[in-house]
Amino acid sequence: MIDLKNINRRRFMGLAGMTAAASMVPWKVRQALAATPLPAVKEEDAIIGFGHVGPISDEGWTYSHHQGLEAVKAAFPKAKYLEVENIPFSADCTRIYRQMVSDGANMIFSTSNYGDLIYEVSDRATDVAWFECDGRRPADNLSGYYIQHWYPTYVVGIAAGLLSKTGKLGYVASFPVPSVFSGTNAFLMGARTVNPNATLQAVVINSWFDPQGAKQAGTALADNGCDFLFGIMDEAAYLQVAEERGIWAAMWNTDIRRYGPKAYVSSIVLDWKDYYVEQVKKRLAGEWTGGEETLLPMGKGIDRDAWGERVPADVAAKADAVRDKMLKEGWSPFVGEIKDAEGTVRVPAGHRMTEDELYNWDWSIEGVSGLKV
Amino acid sequence: MPASPSPRPIVALRGIGKVFPGVIANADVDFDLLPGEIHALLGENGAGKSTLMNVLTGIYRPDSGAILMDGKEVAFASPVEAIAAGIGMVHQHFKLVRAFTVAENVHLGWKETPRLASKSVLEARTRALSERYGLAVRPEARIDELSAGEQQRVEILRVLARQARVLILDEPTAVLTPAEARVLFKALRAFKDAGNSVIFISHKLDEVMEIADRVTVLRGGRKVLTETTENCTTTKLAQWMVGREMVLGGLREAIVPRSEAGRIVLALDHVSASDDRGRKGLIEVDLPVRAGEILGIAGVAGNGQRELSEVLTGIRRPDSGRILVEGVPLDDPSPDVFLELGVGHIPEDRIKSGIAPSLPISDNAVMRAYGEAPIAHGIFFSPKAADALAKQIADDAAVTIPSLRTPIRNLSGGNQQRLVARREMRIARLAIVAAYPSRGLDVGAISTLLHYLIDLRNQGVAVVLISEELSELFDVTDRIAVMFKGRVMGLYETKDADLERVGLLMGGQTQQTEAA
Amino acid sequence: MALHFVRSPVVSSARALTARVIGFVLALGLGALVLGIAGFDSLHLGRQIIVKSLGSQFGLEDLGLLYTPLLLTGLAVTVMARMGLWNIGADGQFYLGAFVTTAIGLFIKGPEPFMLVLMFFAGAAGGALWILVPTLAKAYAKVDEIITTLLLNFVALLLVYYVATGPWRDRVSGTTASTGRVPYKMPDFFGSLHWGFVIALAAPILFALALRYTKWGYEVRLSGANPDAAHYAGIPVRRRLITIMLLSGAIAGIAGMLEVAGTVHRLQGGISNNYGYLGVMVAVLARGSALGVIAGAFLMALILNAGIILQTQGLTTSAVLALTGLIMLFTAIADQFAHYRLVRPRAATA
Repeated sequence: MIDLKNINRRRFMGLAGMTAAASMVPWKVRQALAATPLPAVKEEDAIIGFGHVGPISDEGWTYSHHQGLEAVKAAFPKAKYLEVENIPFSADCTRIYRQMVSDGANMIFSTSNYGDLIYEVSDRATDVAWFECDGRRPADNLSGYYIQHWYPTYVVGIAAGLLSKTGKLGYVASFPVPSVFSGTNAFLMGARTVNPNATLQAVVINSWFDPQGAKQAGTALADNGCDFLFGIMDEAAYLQVAEERGIWAAMWNTDIRRYGPKAYVSSIVLDWKDYYVEQVKKRLAGEWTGGEETLLPMGKGIDRDAWGERVPADVAAKADAVRDKMLKEGWSPFVGEIKDAEGTVRVPAGHRMTEDELYNWDWSIEGVSGLKV
Repeated sequence: MPASPSPRPIVALRGIGKVFPGVIANADVDFDLLPGEIHALLGENGAGKSTLMNVLTGIYRPDSGAILMDGKEVAFASPVEAIAAGIGMVHQHFKLVRAFTVAENVHLGWKETPRLASKSVLEARTRALSERYGLAVRPEARIDELSAGEQQRVEILRVLARQARVLILDEPTAVLTPAEARVLFKALRAFKDAGNSVIFISHKLDEVMEIADRVTVLRGGRKVLTETTENCTTTKLAQWMVGREMVLGGLREAIVPRSEAGRIVLALDHVSASDDRGRKGLIEVDLPVRAGEILGIAGVAGNGQRELSEVLTGIRRPDSGRILVEGVPLDDPSPDVFLELGVGHIPEDRIKSGIAPSLPISDNAVMRAYGEAPIAHGIFFSPKAADALAKQIADDAAVTIPSLRTPIRNLSGGNQQRLVARREMRIARLAIVAAYPSRGLDVGAISTLLHYLIDLRNQGVAVVLISEELSELFDVTDRIAVMFKGRVMGLYETKDADLERVGLLMGGQTQQTEAA
Repeated sequence: MALHFVRSPVVSSARALTARVIGFVLALGLGALVLGIAGFDSLHLGRQIIVKSLGSQFGLEDLGLLYTPLLLTGLAVTVMARMGLWNIGADGQFYLGAFVTTAIGLFIKGPEPFMLVLMFFAGAAGGALWILVPTLAKAYAKVDEIITTLLLNFVALLLVYYVATGPWRDRVSGTTASTGRVPYKMPDFFGSLHWGFVIALAAPILFALALRYTKWGYEVRLSGANPDAAHYAGIPVRRRLITIMLLSGAIAGIAGMLEVAGTVHRLQGGISNNYGYLGVMVAVLARGSALGVIAGAFLMALILNAGIILQTQGLTTSAVLALTGLIMLFTAIADQFAHYRLVRPRAATA
């Protein structure tokens, strides 16, 4: 649970100057530490490692990071690259990163948050620039980065509220982690702006990639009367369920509408290219310092996908109007009063949730069921 | 033996040699098997009889020499090829699938087995074969329900069904009653009369004289001679076999007469016990065993002897009744209790329960003494002390062993038996139960073993000797009990007992049925 | 006449080893060939594996950290194999050991040395507890231990997933799907290699010594070689079976404890890394010998480490898995082949 009282000192420092939201630039949850930058590296001497949680062929999360790597390769063709897929959440992760270091990597991107399993190596490999996606423990040589996915999620949530007839939204969740809480909450908040009675039921399947589990969860949710499925999965299983059942679905990561063109509404799509290229450029130039936590904003790293073929124009227009407001005015819907699932007020009236709070959201709002820490 | 100069041998072995590490098993052995003869292969344990036959049937490859069949040189790579060429062997330890029925075993791995045949078809075919060869078997019975004699008939039937021209039998009568042996001999003669040949491996002189046309004697891996049985006597055979004057007598003389009966040290009181299949194995048995006597248990194998020996040593718990030691009933008759009391046990099937074949000789030799000094010190076990004891037991048993660290399965069956016997005698302060101790042993070894038992008896130990050899029982026992279908049919002083009567009781014939 | 294969039931160790070396080399050769066709420089990869596993600090650390759990799970399976039983549940016992260790580490406070000792015994107890039901079922109802131990793996996995993502979920650093960091740590002695490695290496030696130099060891050897003979010798076979199975579980549980306290420091879903199942492979490689576990686990650790190296060299996990499988398959084939000898019909000499 995150509230202002519990934010530690370092984090509090990071929050300073965050009141004026300008969502067109990457949001720094925490600024780079004032450490000495790592020395410059010649492009031909550079070795850049990427470690992924899933297979590149997943057409989802890992694929999007791989696209980022391809962009880096195009920008710095003389550097050498190491890329490892399917890294498990076990000591093998530590071993793989250790191996990258011993292969001479100058820069390593972990595209998932392995936490200690990375720090075990990164703390001892201080001349390597480390990146941990969705990481929350920066160090002099390690930066975290993520996306402000709650904004496009809210936008798609509005479309869901308009499209759902039953007002019951289903969510296929991986783990009860902040990404999932902020996703479900933003989604339902968007839907409730057009259908105040909408509710969201989540099913946790304990995996990011489990087509069988996702399919079962999707089916169960549809059986419960949900006519709009959303979730955070690296594959398209529940989209296919929605297609078969003639209901709606919104996805994550990439455009995978071909698995269910009729059911497809939109997707929370990722784009890491600019961020990666920029970071590598800094590292090579000798300007890189760690300790940052960056959240890529909507329009520059995260967005909603082009609307599905069956999404009525007025629904799209209504949702996009809100998106424009966010992009142009820096408007945020995440303003109190917000109650949690037990009815307790967690965000006082008038308080605009900070990006840090959104990023670390770990409680469900009223109307969300099936998610518990 | 017909005198015709040289009918071509059906099988001829020429100069066969086979060496195992440290042992010459066969050296320059010639052997001819003529059509229409029963040819006995006689020799002590370790004389090389089994090795020679294993060479013939393709289990071993000879180091030198040649095998000719019908005059042509052959080499079988496996017993399967040998049987295809018409040579079938029935081993001492049966190679049957215990969980299968008789019919299934007969048809297993046989090219004439009809595909997709139902159980009843297989059983009908087996019944037909059984009648054709005069070997009574129960086609529907499972192998593990059968007595050793029945199992042997199944093995022989298996071989004969595959149209064998040459039948090799390794110690076939070791597991048979006299009556069963007679049935076997009859079947063998019929087989011979049809122009086929039999190789009969044995160390029993009487039966060699009875059944064989010719006999080849092996000693120390070499051939001593081949002779027609007409020109042999048992004395001559024994001399050739052991290479020295061998007297089987002298047993009676060794028995020290007693003026009065010893006290009862071990007794069964109305004991009933189940066998492994949960059927009645022992029924209401009363059996007192006295100190300083040899009590013989006569009977055809499979009539409760196994259960009796196991109940008497704590391996099997009785369902009802009491076991008394020195008049005191045992609360918890478990093997360690009997070990503590000083009851030795030479088990019926040493490979199954008497030894651990894969463990070193040393570990096997100390099975009864590992828990006490000098081998055990507190929780520790001294391999050195174990080796010392094993060496002593091996020396006492007159078994020469290459290394105490080699697995005991590398020893011959006879040597294993000698070690087990010595090991058990060491602990037998109160009593010893010896089940078929002479099974698979040669004349010399049997004599030695029986003398051991007599010595124990003379020292005041109670000896229970389970045997099928009536002559053996009449030679050495003080009293004889006869078992039939789990019951003790009668208990006699040996000097008053009548061989004929005991034989009838073994067949289940009591006075009443005789009268009827 | 054609050549024939004849099977002999017993194989000498030298013969078995030769067959394995041949199988191993063949598997490597085939793997290299396929990689070569796919455009990889097999020789270079091979050199990388050797140099990086054995020739660098990081490589040796990694090797040691892989070796540690494999020694213990391999031993756990071997211990039961001495009784003629298969512990397919070492993975579950590993999880339970890790689970109990984490529970104590997270919720009890105390001086570190004391806590580590407590965690060690608790981990062992956790592993033993997890095999208790299969043990009793085996000892008193003859229920097949292969099935029961295997099925409990899934229960243990789900339990760990549940606590790691649910009640014990890390609320401090937000690490996905794992518990908070256990504050007590096995001391390191070589980079990140901790003293658990020494414990793991000592365990098979201790077990081998116990088998040979204790009464209990003799009874276990006899009970394993022939339970009927052991019963005949007055040994309480059932009690030995129970202690051996519990010991096996405890050893796997210690592997889980060391993985938490020495290597990962948190409890998480994938923490066993299949070490329990790999322990079965190690035991097969070791051919039932406790000391053979030291060699078998080393080979397995080397293979796993090679897998890591190959991944950073651009091979996918599937290719690495296929290579590992290939080596195992050829080893199994070699083990079978060792039983056969080629018999050539002799030329007529008579």
